[in-house]
Amino acid sequence: MAEISSDLVVETNQLTKIYQNRQIALNDVNLKLEPGCVLGLLGHNGAGKTTLLRLILGLHRPTAGWVKLFGETMTPNSADLRCRIGYIPTNPQFPKGMTPITYLDYIARLFGLPAEVRKPRLASLIRAVDLLGASGDCVDNFSNGMIARLAVATSLINEPDLLIWDEPTLGLDPEARRSMLELIKTLARDKTLIIASHNLGDIDEVCNHAAVLSHGHLIYFGSLQDLKGRMKRNHYEVDLEGDQKAITKAMTALKSMAEFKLVNLRQRRLELRLTDDANNTSALANVFMTLADSKVAVISIRSVGMQTEQAFLDLVEEEESRGFARAYKAAA
Amino acid sequence: MDVAVPTRLKRNRLLPYWAVLQADLKATFNSWLYRFWILLAVGVLGGYLLYRFGAMRVAGMLQSAPEALGEMLHWVVYGTITLIIALTAGTISSEGGTMADSVLSRGISRYQYFIGKWHARLALVLGTYFATSIAAMLGGYFMLHSDSLTLHGGFVAILIVASMLLFVVTFAVSVSAMSSNTLVSIAVVWVTLYGGGFLLTQLPGSIPSPERALQSLPDVMKGFYDWNSLAQTMLISVGVSTATAFIGMITFSRRDV
Repeated sequence: MAEISSDLVVETNQLTKIYQNRQIALNDVNLKLEPGCVLGLLGHNGAGKTTLLRLILGLHRPTAGWVKLFGETMTPNSADLRCRIGYIPTNPQFPKGMTPITYLDYIARLFGLPAEVRKPRLASLIRAVDLLGASGDCVDNFSNGMIARLAVATSLINEPDLLIWDEPTLGLDPEARRSMLELIKTLARDKTLIIASHNLGDIDEVCNHAAVLSHGHLIYFGSLQDLKGRMKRNHYEVDLEGDQKAITKAMTALKSMAEFKLVNLRQRRLELRLTDDANNTSALANVFMTLADSKVAVISIRSVGMQTEQAFLDLVEEEESRGFARAYKAAA
Repeated sequence: MDVAVPTRLKRNRLLPYWAVLQADLKATFNSWLYRFWILLAVGVLGGYLLYRFGAMRVAGMLQSAPEALGEMLHWVVYGTITLIIALTAGTISSEGGTMADSVLSRGISRYQYFIGKWHARLALVLGTYFATSIAAMLGGYFMLHSDSLTLHGGFVAILIVASMLLFVVTFAVSVSAMSSNTLVSIAVVWVTLYGGGFLLTQLPGSIPSPERALQSLPDVMKGFYDWNSLAQTMLISVGVSTATAFIGMITFSRRDV
């Protein structure tokens, strides 16, 4: 991450939030986000994701620590800083009786955009998110997909540098979800994004960094690649082609190898699970040699399981298993 | 979704305030509570005037316009104050959660948001009060025995009640900015205003109280009043209201939403 603070889009230092001395929602969170970073914010329900986002937005005040955006400290009155943020809350709600045009106009005025700027901008955004046909309809009757598209338009009306989207794909049908992910990829080319989501597949697809929260504590912050690299890949599936007798022969040979704790054949799909201490490169090399010796062709090979999901679960489990030792690290 | 990227331009810093003020005016104007208040005020004021007019024409029962109008303004304060509290004590507290997020996460400061909301409710309540009371005053002038009613006295009487309503609205909006629960806000404002009003009546007569001010309205309408003393009372009301709004605004700017 960057050395110079002013180059950072978001920086938090020992960020802590305790609600009314009853609930510790966030504990000592240190984050540094560079421009162009697409951060996936992960964590179970109640882990503190939304609290962190609300602190970054200045909707909540930190109990301790601070949040800086673009080098300036965020407070509830930092209107200028919020002009550089586009936010989508979880389950966005809109005032009753408004149409997409009146709502976007209202939000644009909240950003202080004069009429000659906001009118063309809202018109182009309504067209961009495919709400042209419903631009005069009341938002009260909108479907989840339409609400999500209006929320996207709302978050882009001020042409923000930082986008904070809380569960943007929640409740969307597959087509709308795909559109949303494609949009995130497009926006990621020149904006910084923070995406909070329970859908680890979405995070895996669009993010380049990850932050994992567990019980209000940041247990991982770094690149998504590093997060996945922490996970030991030891479960593979190999699709085979060849004579059934040859495949059975290869199976017998593979089962005799000590590196595998599971060798299973279903139809022509070979499932392999390596032992914990096995080296996967040499184990897979042995598999290929055995298959070649038996004249069995390999159609495809893949690592089984959602890598980000598995890495996330491993990380949370590891954190839980540390028990009281966690206090030792916090004090250090 | 193909999104265009327009160029960044200079902001109009007053626009967020206007946006909140206009949106709140529109939303409150369309609320059933506001409409109920209007219906009730117009119905009761109109009904009372007609009753007095009928009693004068049919039974020859004379009641001077200042007395009748004084009673009506008295009723405005005591009769509809609960509705005004209900209309204003949820101004900010009722917009918690996602709805508040969607406004306060934009380019608006808490100060602007509070002032926009406060001014919107003041404009609506005082505007409605002025419209109905001036209409009642004119109705009383033409329909009742109005020999003793003076124009300047009637105007001052309306201003006295307006200065009370100014504090009521300001206090209710400020409490709603400090609370997360509308029902709690309404209860706190109601108990404080009625309790405070009652306690003031127990103090020596030299200390101004809402009750004493309301009792003096008929005389004020006849033109018997000490302008300096009334102006001082109204200025105190404006000062206390401003201080209350300042406390509400500062508290709101420091709390979580």
